[in-house]
Amino acid sequence: MAVIREKGYTHWDGRLVERRFPWSPITRTGILLAFRKKRFKLVFAATFVPAFVFLVGLYISERLEDFKAMIQGSDRLINIGPKYFVSYFTNDSLLFMIALVLALGAGGLIADDLRHGSLQLYFARPLGKKDYIAGKMSVAAFFVLLYTAVPGLLLVIFKLVFAGSFEFFLKYPWLPLSVLGASLLLTVFFAFYIMLLSSVSKNNRYVFVLVFGVYYFSEILFNILRGVFRTPYTALFSIPANIKQVGAAIFGQAPPLAVPAVWSFAVLAGFCGLAAVVLDRKIRSVEVIK
Amino acid sequence: MTAVISAVGLSKYYGNILGLNDVTLDIEPGITGLLGPNGAGKSTFMKLITGQMKPNIGAVTVRGRRAWNDPGIFRGIGFCPEPDAFYEDVTGREFLTGLLRLQGFPDAEADERAARALDVVDLAEARDRLIRGYSRGMRQRIKFAQAVAHDPEILILDEPLSGLDPLGKRKLIKLIKGYREQGRTILVSSHVLPEIEALTSRIVLIHQGKILAQGDVPYIRDLIESHPHQISVTSSDPRALAGRFIGDRSIQKMTFGEDGRTLVVETHKRDEFFGRLTQAVLAAGIEVDEVSSPDDNLQSVFEYLVEK
Repeated sequence: MAVIREKGYTHWDGRLVERRFPWSPITRTGILLAFRKKRFKLVFAATFVPAFVFLVGLYISERLEDFKAMIQGSDRLINIGPKYFVSYFTNDSLLFMIALVLALGAGGLIADDLRHGSLQLYFARPLGKKDYIAGKMSVAAFFVLLYTAVPGLLLVIFKLVFAGSFEFFLKYPWLPLSVLGASLLLTVFFAFYIMLLSSVSKNNRYVFVLVFGVYYFSEILFNILRGVFRTPYTALFSIPANIKQVGAAIFGQAPPLAVPAVWSFAVLAGFCGLAAVVLDRKIRSVEVIK
Repeated sequence: MTAVISAVGLSKYYGNILGLNDVTLDIEPGITGLLGPNGAGKSTFMKLITGQMKPNIGAVTVRGRRAWNDPGIFRGIGFCPEPDAFYEDVTGREFLTGLLRLQGFPDAEADERAARALDVVDLAEARDRLIRGYSRGMRQRIKFAQAVAHDPEILILDEPLSGLDPLGKRKLIKLIKGYREQGRTILVSSHVLPEIEALTSRIVLIHQGKILAQGDVPYIRDLIESHPHQISVTSSDPRALAGRFIGDRSIQKMTFGEDGRTLVVETHKRDEFFGRLTQAVLAAGIEVDEVSSPDDNLQSVFEYLVEK
């Protein structure tokens, strides 16, 4: 006869947190793990250098007229207007540093899970694939926003503070929105970029190489093709060139190359779409048994 | 008793490879042992139950809810996967609190539960050490801790005893039995019969993706006993030894090895044979170098059952 057992355990009386973002613990852990790496901490701090340089330029432009001579030839730093912000958001140093921060801090977000077989632990929780991807992408988004939206808005605020008037704001009332738009562009693109590359390998170092390899290969390809075909449209092959084109358009400035910015936007959006498809295919709850 | 987990006509293919074939099984409260050799389909079955894989044919329900694509069922399921599945750079405590937060527990409760779970598996002292530095046994225990930390009603444990030392195994077996006494439903897989035997008398035999048999331990033991065992005896005079067994009805076949020193005996009654072998060796004064059972493993039993 079967033994009848009394249900001896009791469930917790408290309430489970109905998180609006059930993936937030993944983001929290991802950020925590990034700061566990010594090299990352150094690079994290260094990535604020471009913002600091632009802030100094802004300060000089408003307060230290006499020192303007010292930074002759650096008009883009001291002529504060939409161009100044385009320069900040699309300068090569910032883009390189963002790529470096992501390669070090977020390159292993999916690669490590694939290597350690951790996906099945995530999917043994009340969590879907979208939650997992959102949680991981938010780590990358956190860092990119920290280098784009935060300094961008602070630069607008500091401009007003240093000028002591709202004249700048009244002249360019749309500027904060453009700052947010440019930040969003960089955040979405780089988040998809790092997620895609992190999902194609189980090896962190390989992902690191890929982050820079793909980025600069696209630029080299653009330059080679431009030399061969003599057309600016080859810029569509280049990640940095497309970012610069769209960045300029967001601030209402003429794109640096004679290619419609909307085309560059379509290329970047297409890349993100492709990344989403790859992520959907690569991230399975369990590894297929071979 | 009502089935907590129910699989009906379940099949799973990996391309051309058959992972699971037409499995129909009800799992009731208590411990159910899933016994089968490596590659039998145990892990596939567990992953289907936990909704981590979509069955090609058939369906699995957990407490009446379809397992596939319903992350909500994991509020009541604890899953301990077979392979190590950790971040190496977090401490044991961080690992558990992170997973408990994903279950929806507030921070304070997650911390408290993590501490309790670590205590249960005797890892309280190692809680602030990085998992990277954990031994194999410790890793196995923390994997178990993450499965039980949220106090689930159903426990799915894939080879939970592998990698543990005898003492660790005893502790974990006691712990799992304790969960059974609390009325939970526990499915444990293993390819080692004594391990499963120590946990439960309710066993499901699985091989090549099929359920071969299910029943209690005596039934499974009988099946295994019906399998003719091969025993190899290396001695100074195998022919003299064979002469001693000519009239023994429990022996089905005897052959001599090419080395001229080995006698291979096939018998249904292995234990009886060993008793008689000792007597024969002593009586004939034969020097025995080695006695081994080349087919004394679960794999050969399964192969025998499949052929049968």
